Amino acid sequence: MSDNHKEHPTPKKYVQIAIFLGILTAIEVALYYTEDFVGVFTDPLLIFLAIGKYVVVVGWFMHLRFENKMVNRFFAGGMILALILFAIVMIERAAGNFFN
Amino acid sequence: MSGGHDYPHESTGVETRKLGMWVFLSTEILFFGTLITTFMIFKGRDFPGIKLTDVYDIPFTSVSSFVLLMSSLTMVLAHNALENADQEKTRVWLLATAMLGSVFLAGQIYEFTEFYHKGFELSTNIFSSTFYVLTGFHGLHVFIGVVFLIGLWIIGQRQKGLSLDSGFNLEFIALYWHFVDIVWIVLFTVVYLI
Repeated sequence: MSDNHKEHPTPKKYVQIAIFLGILTAIEVALYYTEDFVGVFTDPLLIFLAIGKYVVVVGWFMHLRFENKMVNRFFAGGMILALILFAIVMIERAAGNFFN
Repeated sequence: MSGGHDYPHESTGVETRKLGMWVFLSTEILFFGTLITTFMIFKGRDFPGIKLTDVYDIPFTSVSSFVLLMSSLTMVLAHNALENADQEKTRVWLLATAMLGSVFLAGQIYEFTEFYHKGFELSTNIFSSTFYVLTGFHGLHVFIGVVFLIGLWIIGQRQKGLSLDSGFNLEFIALYWHFVDIVWIVLFTVVYLI
């Protein structure tokens, strides 16, 4: 059963969330152009920002944070399987098993 | 997305159609996960022909990304308006979402055309193939979403109103549309920025 009866955000809140997402996108683009200055932190920061945007859209716009736990598990299941696949392939790539 | 509702007659506690939609989206994650993984195998390696970094235009793609992000806002506002039984606003926001999606698609078509003219083609090398397959499939999903949105808007006009509980459901199309948006959030970072 749904164990969670949080109120959905108001239109004003949605606009605030969209502005926040826009700011995160602007930071991403700024990071791309300041890669020489930010150095090795650029890629981790870009990944962190993308994950942040992803979580905000899924949680608030798709209302997953207000949803039944079963729905959350199904969605997380797909994510976890995709990440496992990605990790295995990247390990194989790093080990040089795809290219001689 | 009308979260928090219980469905005691369903053994899962979730409306079956909604659960089906989430399972579908879960399989879509695997679909795009596979395409992204394939793209990443070849990213950063040297191949004959022009490179993606030589042809892409970050400011242009950034604006496209922003447009798609804002279409998620208009979509959620359409859903909110329907929950408040405001049919007029629902139709306006639906149309706005379809228009923003169309702008994104037009941008992608322009981008692909530019890349082709500069010599970065589907058959240039295996990396270019993975790029076009990945971004092309995303574009196809956006196109399907736009068709759904326009279809829903037409139904809303003809029936003088949409329903959250039955028929060609706005809630499921909204879920699909936000999913298309989150895929692009990942693609924008993985394909263009990193």
